[in-house]
Amino acid sequence: MIRSLLVISIFAAAALVAGAVLDPRGYIVRVVCLMLLAASLGQCWNIVGGLANQISLGHAAFFGIGAYTTTILQIRYGISPWIGLFLGAAIAGLVGFLISIPTMRLKGSYFALATLAFGEACRIFATAAAGLTGGPQGISVPFVGNSWAMMQFRGAGPYVPILVGLFILISVIFVVLSNGKLGYLLRATRESEDAAEVAGVNTLGVKLAGSTISAALTAVVGTMFVQFNFFIDPDIVFNPTSVSIRAALITIVGGVGILTGPIFGAIAIVTMEEVLSAYLSNQAAGVAPLIFGGLLIAIVLWKPAGLSAISFSRKRALS
Amino acid sequence: MTAFLQALIDGTLVGGVYGIIAVGLSLVFGVLGIVNFAQAEFMMLGMYAAWFAWRYLGLDPLIGAAISFAVGFGIGALAQRFLIQRVMNAPHVSQIFLTVGLLIVLENAALLLFGADFRTVQTPYQTQSLQMGPFFISVPYLAAFCNALVVSVALWLVMARTWIGRAIRATAQNAMAAEIFGVDAKRVYMIAFGLGTGLTAFGGGIILSYSSVSPTSGAQYVVLMFTVVVLGGLGSVLGALIGGIAVGIIQSLSTLVMPIQVQNLALFVIFIALLTFRPQGLLGGASR
Repeated sequence: MIRSLLVISIFAAAALVAGAVLDPRGYIVRVVCLMLLAASLGQCWNIVGGLANQISLGHAAFFGIGAYTTTILQIRYGISPWIGLFLGAAIAGLVGFLISIPTMRLKGSYFALATLAFGEACRIFATAAAGLTGGPQGISVPFVGNSWAMMQFRGAGPYVPILVGLFILISVIFVVLSNGKLGYLLRATRESEDAAEVAGVNTLGVKLAGSTISAALTAVVGTMFVQFNFFIDPDIVFNPTSVSIRAALITIVGGVGILTGPIFGAIAIVTMEEVLSAYLSNQAAGVAPLIFGGLLIAIVLWKPAGLSAISFSRKRALS
Repeated sequence: MTAFLQALIDGTLVGGVYGIIAVGLSLVFGVLGIVNFAQAEFMMLGMYAAWFAWRYLGLDPLIGAAISFAVGFGIGALAQRFLIQRVMNAPHVSQIFLTVGLLIVLENAALLLFGADFRTVQTPYQTQSLQMGPFFISVPYLAAFCNALVVSVALWLVMARTWIGRAIRATAQNAMAAEIFGVDAKRVYMIAFGLGTGLTAFGGGIILSYSSVSPTSGAQYVVLMFTVVVLGGLGSVLGALIGGIAVGIIQSLSTLVMPIQVQNLALFVIFIALLTFRPQGLLGGASR
């Protein structure tokens, strides 16, 4: 646990130093922000995907709910995103809890399918409910100038401490969950649901708790994303590939079920995204996702252990 | 009432084609025990194959769909042989992410090769419809439905009467027992997967006769396909056809009471509800 907290502080400090030393409007600082967002998103997915081994392909639902809630509140009622993010997290947590009651009973591919369908349902709803969400045209965050109260700034620099805060919050929650009672119960459920039930674990309740926390935190990441990006539409925030699958991919690349997984995954994936878009974005829109897909296939075929924390931790425990 | 019956007619005709698309998925899942998330991308590939056949060979998409089948079969069989076969006994996580990876690769390969534009075909009967009393029957829907029906019968014959059909069914029931009786299970897996993706691609070719294709066409049908399979039960051609028609009718009836943009929302709700009440999976009895 101490070691985990040390790891979090090292990365947080590195990001803070980069934000303080480098040009706050520069490219590198922007990339640091993107990495912090990606690591946070991956860590949220890791709570359900890693600790409970329930492969969600629908985390875009909660990401989008967070992003839309704060932006709509700000446009309609002038409410600061600092307050909006709590409401977004509450709504996403509730939605995550409710949708998990039926879906968390499902295993393996069926759970993945149901969550994929749920994310898509949210995308269609956001596209259709134009009165609430602005529909397919999307909505922009009204720019009021550099303002800590409204959580918006011209350059990327001031976002660094905010996103570091987000990163620390989610990482610490992951560590506490993972080392605490809920983490053990989730892992027990993951290893063998039947055995856990026999031992008196309320497996459905444990998974519901995990997914509610994960959903609420994902919404906070969505809020931070829209404050950083200033524009959203249903295809950006409810996107199955660039949000849901990316969240899973970030975790898988670095290692599922462990704290450092999403951190190294985010560094690797964002670096790759940036390099790719720098060299060939304009002529070919599909190259980066194509490489992602190929990467996913390659990991499955050549490094299947990266997909499951189970065998990894078990081997280490035995040796 | 007229609107209701009209919706019923449209839904049935469109749903027959959904049956063909979904029977491919059902076959893949039934024989290999793998939920192929990339299945809908083969439908998109089939649509492109039919579009190119129309554009450069002048083939009507209902005939060009045969080329779609060949393309779907070829790519599917190769994907099974070199990718899917390697995770046949792997945990679910590997199977999910392998097919999800395949989905992303196929969609973006199409984007790179064909661009993001929507492509459509023009056929002489495209806007025609037959009038029967107060009802209108769209000619392209009817032609597509008949085509789907013929292929369903052909597939049923292949599965019921031919050696390979029996080998596929035997492997689905018990791969080891089938091998003892001289069936090369690996080859059957490859053929069954290719047949499944080929049929889905074929359905894509048919659908092109009254819709358009773009790289994201497949993504719009993922949930629809799975809903059909869940509704119709697994592994049966007739079941897939009935499930397809049911989904077609649900879709077309829902447009009577809901705006067209949320047409698919009804499907998602039904899909999640179905999974909830049958949590053991796509087919109640079969545990594969």
